[in-house]
Amino acid sequence: MKLEIENVSKTYRGNTEALRSFRLELRPGVLGLLGPNGAGKSTLMRILATITQPSAGRVLWNGTDIRQDPDALRTVLGYLPQDFGIYSNLSALEFLGYLAAVKGLDAASANRRISELLELVNLADASRRPLGGFSGGMRQRMGIAQALLNDRKLLIVDEPTAGLDPEERVRFRNLLSELSGERIVILSTHIVSDVEAVATDIALIVEGELVVHGVPEALLAGVNGRVWEVVVPSTELAALRQRHLISNTAHRSDGVHARVVSDAAPGPGARSLEPSLEDAYLAALATHRNGAHRLAAV
Amino acid sequence: MKTLRVVYAIARADFLERVRRYSYLVTLLFAVYLGYAAGTGQISLRLGNYRGLYTSAWIGAMVSLVTTTFVSLVGFYIVKNAVDRDRQTGVGEILAATPLSKASYLLGKFLSNFAVLLSMVVVLAIAAVAIQLLAAEDRTFHSQPLLLPFLFLTLPAIAITAAIALLFETFSFLRGGLGNVVWFFLWSFGIALPAMTEIPQLDPSGLWLVSQSMVSAARAGIPGYNGGFSLTIGRLIPVQLATGFHWDGVEWTGEVLLLHLAWIAVAFALVLCGTIFFDRFDPAISRRKLGAPSRPTGDAAPSGAALDPATSRPHVATPISLTPLAPEALYSGAGHLLMAESRLALKGYRWWWYAVAGGLLIAQLAAPLEVSCGPLLAVAWVWPIFVWSALGTRETRFGVEQLLFSCARILPRQLPAAWLVGVLVAALTGLGAAVRLALAGRSAGLFAWAAGVLFIPSLALALGVWSGTSKFFEGLYIALWYVGPLHRVPGFDFTGSANGPQTTHFALMYLCIAVALVAAAFFRRARQLRGT
Repeated sequence: MKLEIENVSKTYRGNTEALRSFRLELRPGVLGLLGPNGAGKSTLMRILATITQPSAGRVLWNGTDIRQDPDALRTVLGYLPQDFGIYSNLSALEFLGYLAAVKGLDAASANRRISELLELVNLADASRRPLGGFSGGMRQRMGIAQALLNDRKLLIVDEPTAGLDPEERVRFRNLLSELSGERIVILSTHIVSDVEAVATDIALIVEGELVVHGVPEALLAGVNGRVWEVVVPSTELAALRQRHLISNTAHRSDGVHARVVSDAAPGPGARSLEPSLEDAYLAALATHRNGAHRLAAV
Repeated sequence: MKTLRVVYAIARADFLERVRRYSYLVTLLFAVYLGYAAGTGQISLRLGNYRGLYTSAWIGAMVSLVTTTFVSLVGFYIVKNAVDRDRQTGVGEILAATPLSKASYLLGKFLSNFAVLLSMVVVLAIAAVAIQLLAAEDRTFHSQPLLLPFLFLTLPAIAITAAIALLFETFSFLRGGLGNVVWFFLWSFGIALPAMTEIPQLDPSGLWLVSQSMVSAARAGIPGYNGGFSLTIGRLIPVQLATGFHWDGVEWTGEVLLLHLAWIAVAFALVLCGTIFFDRFDPAISRRKLGAPSRPTGDAAPSGAALDPATSRPHVATPISLTPLAPEALYSGAGHLLMAESRLALKGYRWWWYAVAGGLLIAQLAAPLEVSCGPLLAVAWVWPIFVWSALGTRETRFGVEQLLFSCARILPRQLPAAWLVGVLVAALTGLGAAVRLALAGRSAGLFAWAAGVLFIPSLALALGVWSGTSKFFEGLYIALWYVGPLHRVPGFDFTGSANGPQTTHFALMYLCIAVALVAAAFFRRARQLRGT
């Protein structure tokens, strides 16, 4: 099972380049796709989900070009877009039943799967209520359920935990881990902790380009020995920000505890810390933006 | 001053949002077409079988009346989305959280509506000048008689249209398809009202004013003129130029001006009226007014209220496991999808909707054949208009395109299933007439009925898929239904009952149109699925 993205570019009207010669090869596992706003993540997701055509390049699913034969991918695809609507007059049961029919599931299999999914996303008790009355988090869980309707080999989820409470977020992370066995899962998010929890691979995309692709350990190794904690008076925080990349701050009685990513100790008394994925992400982003050098592959 | 700036900002943003859309170009093209139709005689102003010389006064009156009549009808459907766009995009809720008053908001939207319609009027006013230059029947150009009818007749009429479109959006029950249907009848009534009552104060279109002026001039200047005044589409009835007849245009007395400019004040009053009914994007008010969707018994959750997630969470954590699907579970028969599409299409209709449809069906079986296939079938085929108008648009309306379009075999499965539901609805609601035709051995009538069954959902699907909105079908279908099945104009009656000896001929025509429409819908949807 293989998904190949070969030199994919996407240019929107007005010459806006959302993706530039993007190359990536995916095999079973969870790919965490990270990047700042407007980096091109959602465009890539839509291209992989056959919603949008690339301007150049191609996407191959097990060797088949999905532009030529989109159904080869669609039959095994589960897709949760970042923004999606629902039929507000239908109940959860009816909406999933409708999508199951559209996806070609027979009635008996669909009923069993829908019942399991509603349990899975904690909507069994609300399954007969009109979707129009659902809260944002419940709608998001409906989105997750519909993405799992068929036995997907490729699961694409764009900001899946947006609007979920912490408990539901943890449940969804566990679910993704469970599902990733013999499948390719692509998880796009701004929430680095989600990626940290489940991703077996990480790709960082900035301004439509692939900046980093590798396993989380390798990405973390890149900032090993470069993460520090330094305590400064709050009046000096702005000056510290000018000199260093700060990934986190916390106000304490002795001053501001700043988490700094820097090649050298940022000041007297700085203490070395174990790097987190967020440190690695911010460092890679800063490196790319500064244009010092690009990490083609960690 | 601050209020004016707010109103201007609302109007400007809304206007720019509209004119930067592809559909605005189509709107202007429609205006250009109207000008072309007036210039080439496809739409003409007639005094019985005569027409006047193409002087500035005649052309000004003719094109301004064409503009007033058609732009007020079609323009309503074009601009009736100013508030809805804010509702759909979520901008409305952002605005609702600001100190913006209802009156400022609605006035801004009204001005934007008016500006969009005004741009069409400007195109047609330029067309009027071009017509005089190109027709060259009278080379003397008089700007006042040519342009004043646009200023004093057309502008008040489009102001009324812009205001009513906005007013309809403030009523929850007129916001959707019902409002589109109601407008057609209201417009027809408004056009006919001054002639019926002979009260000049009830003439916002100016049709009555111009007709009175022209008819009295024609009685004095055209020998053999027996009365008659019409704005005619098509060239089936020949028209002859009334040589020697000269009409100088409407006399713009102070009373006439006051009467017509007063309609602009009426338009503003209608907009302010809207502030009483406008819900200010409060979804709770909208849902309460619309009525809660039907829910199973035993469900105590309040209608429209966001459900508490905690109430839907079981106390014991459920295991995360899904039973794998058997390979044969995929690609069930078409019947399963057809059932799902049927449920989706008919969801939300209350018992009385089915009762009326059933009553009409029984009446078709019981009434005399001509009544069954005439007025009863006509009513039966307008009753499910909103089932059909959702075809091809529901995905856009509810924003589920991404979910649907990423599914396999949408084009050969989902779209035909949706269309077939439309066909079944047409067939079932008109079944009584079909049975009667079959029993009477009227094969031509039965063929026309079948063509109608296929034509209606095909028209809905094509217009829906291409436009992404239901209102074009609702407006066009009601107009066609009004002319054809209701007023029994041969050729326009897609039920076939008024087409006399040419029943088979017209049925074939509607069948061919249906095929072309379905092909157009599939073509467009295929492009949408390719992401182009």
